[in-house]
Amino acid sequence: MSKDSQMRAAINQKLIEMGERDRLKELLRAKLVECGWKDQLKAHCKDVIREKGLEHITVEDLVAEITPKGRALVPDSVKKELLQRIKTFLAQHSTL
Amino acid sequence: MKMEDMSLSGLDNTKLEALAQDIYSDLVEDACLGLCFEVHRAVKQGYFFLDDTDQESMKDFEIVDQPGVDIFGQVYNQWKNKECVCPNCNRSIAASRFAPHLEKCLGMGRNSSRIANRRIASSNNMNNKSESDQEDNDDVNDNDWSYGSEKKAKKRKSDKNPNSPRRSKSVKHKNVLLGPKPCCRSGSSVRAVER
Repeated sequence: MSKDSQMRAAINQKLIEMGERDRLKELLRAKLVECGWKDQLKAHCKDVIREKGLEHITVEDLVAEITPKGRALVPDSVKKELLQRIKTFLAQHSTL
Repeated sequence: MKMEDMSLSGLDNTKLEALAQDIYSDLVEDACLGLCFEVHRAVKQGYFFLDDTDQESMKDFEIVDQPGVDIFGQVYNQWKNKECVCPNCNRSIAASRFAPHLEKCLGMGRNSSRIANRRIASSNNMNNKSESDQEDNDDVNDNDWSYGSEKKAKKRKSDKNPNSPRRSKSVKHKNVLLGPKPCCRSGSSVRAVER
């Protein structure tokens, strides 16, 4: 197992070093805005804040409420495209 | 780290798939966290609910979709058929023709000086022609000057190019202008002769 985790760490490092991770992050962000995911979640945020009270809301509250919903709301097309790009990267840089 | 340990090509597809899923999952979580921080800051700085308006105001600014009216609800061809009174000549002019009329009427604008010059030229011609009938000596000279109208047109154009004021031009040409109708041609054909 440690070989695997070492390898994963190495892959992640390569992802970051080559700037690919940032590019993927930007791509994901742009796609999520485009498809309305951000607006949907923002509306959900408004409900949560109204519920908990404007003064007492904390980052932890928001994270706990938003993250699971956020994961579920990502459209399939966006998910597929991102996975495709990741797999392409892994295939191109399989030997380290 | 030894080279052979690090090779991915030895990995089977499921592990590759799982790795890709993990990376994707991290990216999504980053996006969610980014949104949470953005929202939290907006709440604490007080601008999160800034763009919310109450229902009544929303109704006031709704997009209008009726025929004959633009999206704000204003009538946009309201002024097409209206007439305006010219302050200079006190005539009633249609709204769409008002600006060009005002240009000519007030003597400002690009074309009005040309038209005025032509009118002066033609009126001088009429005056000079009637005079020359009475005077004998000048008859001979008149014939010489008959094609001088073309010359005058050429001269006029070359004088126009440096920024000479209108008045000196028309004064100059008063002396030169003799001869028949050709100088009363419309502006475009005069220019054609000059070229």
